[in-house]
Amino acid sequence: MPMLNKNASQTTPHRSDEPIWWSLFSAGGVCVAMLVPAITLLVLLGIPLGLVSAEQLSYQRLHALVFHPLGLGVVLGAMVLPLFHAMHRIHHGLHDLKLAHGRLAKWLCYGSAVLLSLLVLGLWFSGLG
Amino acid sequence: MPSMAIQLQRYLPERDSTPHWQAFNVEYDDSTSVLDALEQIKAEQDSSLSYRWSCRMAICGSCGVMVNGVPKLGCKTFLRDYPKGLQLAPLGNFPVEKDLIVDMSRFLEHLTAIKPYLIAEAAPQGQPHRQTPAQLARYKQFSNCINCGLCYAACPQFGLKPDFLGPAAIALAHRYNLDSRDSGKAERMAQLNSDNGVWGCTFVGYCSTVCPKGVDPAAAVNQGKIASTLDGVIQWFKPAKASRNKEQR
Ligand code: SF4
Ligand code: FES
Repeated sequence: MPMLNKNASQTTPHRSDEPIWWSLFSAGGVCVAMLVPAITLLVLLGIPLGLVSAEQLSYQRLHALVFHPLGLGVVLGAMVLPLFHAMHRIHHGLHDLKLAHGRLAKWLCYGSAVLLSLLVLGLWFSGLG
Repeated sequence: MPSMAIQLQRYLPERDSTPHWQAFNVEYDDSTSVLDALEQIKAEQDSSLSYRWSCRMAICGSCGVMVNGVPKLGCKTFLRDYPKGLQLAPLGNFPVEKDLIVDMSRFLEHLTAIKPYLIAEAAPQGQPHRQTPAQLARYKQFSNCINCGLCYAACPQFGLKPDFLGPAAIALAHRYNLDSRDSGKAERMAQLNSDNGVWGCTFVGYCSTVCPKGVDPAAAVNQGKIASTLDGVIQWFKPAKASRNKEQR
């Protein structure tokens, strides 16, 4: 049996920053899993089956819903968190496919999620008035 | 007795520059295991063949091999289940030493690093540590690990990054952290909190599929992610104490 590296058990490694990204990823996954089927059912089945009238999903009504203060929750749940969910998957997917796993990939992935989220939030706040 | 063609990956470091395949024929019946087949080959056809085994009853964890590309215990895998023939190779993701024997020292280092033993004050007066069935149930499943390393051969993250602590080591860390008698969690969390700890896992889940003892290391790793996140939040709110891990990068 080769000598074991005794130091392996003695060095204290850095704490990972993954809990932040993983928490956003998990929250995004839950939102996607709950909202996407609901929206799909509503639009793809509800309207053709006559369960929901197209009127109820009219521009005015949806606009009022989204820009209601509670609509911010919908925007966070349907867009911002899923963005982090997707970019987390892409970031780890790049590592798995041996395409990229350095800092740059991480900055690009989470950076684009942050930028797009800011864009979404900016549009939301500018649409409030 | 029927016979079966077996392809064996051979590698004799003093003779071969790279591993190569060699064909053998073995006789078998319903009770012939892969390990039995290897013993038959070594006894009757080629005594230079090397492989590991000890207990022959799925408890020592030494007989892991790739069976048609899937990590298996040789003594718990039967020829009758492979009517189309067998390809046997050393466990994946480990350096090959000779024939079916791999160098597992990386796995053992990772095991050592997470202190896989009870860290506890002695119970008073030689009394046993008492534990309720509910306390036992929390960790029992994770205590069935036999350190066979099949989950490491299955884990693509360990294959990409051998510094990743890996399924069994993390499952064992989790097992002791969940044990009501143990007080060593703080010492183990530093390892689990790192990029090579629970966060090296992307929840592929193949480790749990191949585990011959039903340990479900993937569940342990992902429960460990929640534990590590909570640990991080707690450390955040008590900055006065020395941080468990070094400063964040
Ligand atoms: S978790 Fe399962 S597969 Fe992994 S070393 Fe333990 S017994 Fe083997
Ligand atoms: S020989 Fe012990 S587990 Fe197979």
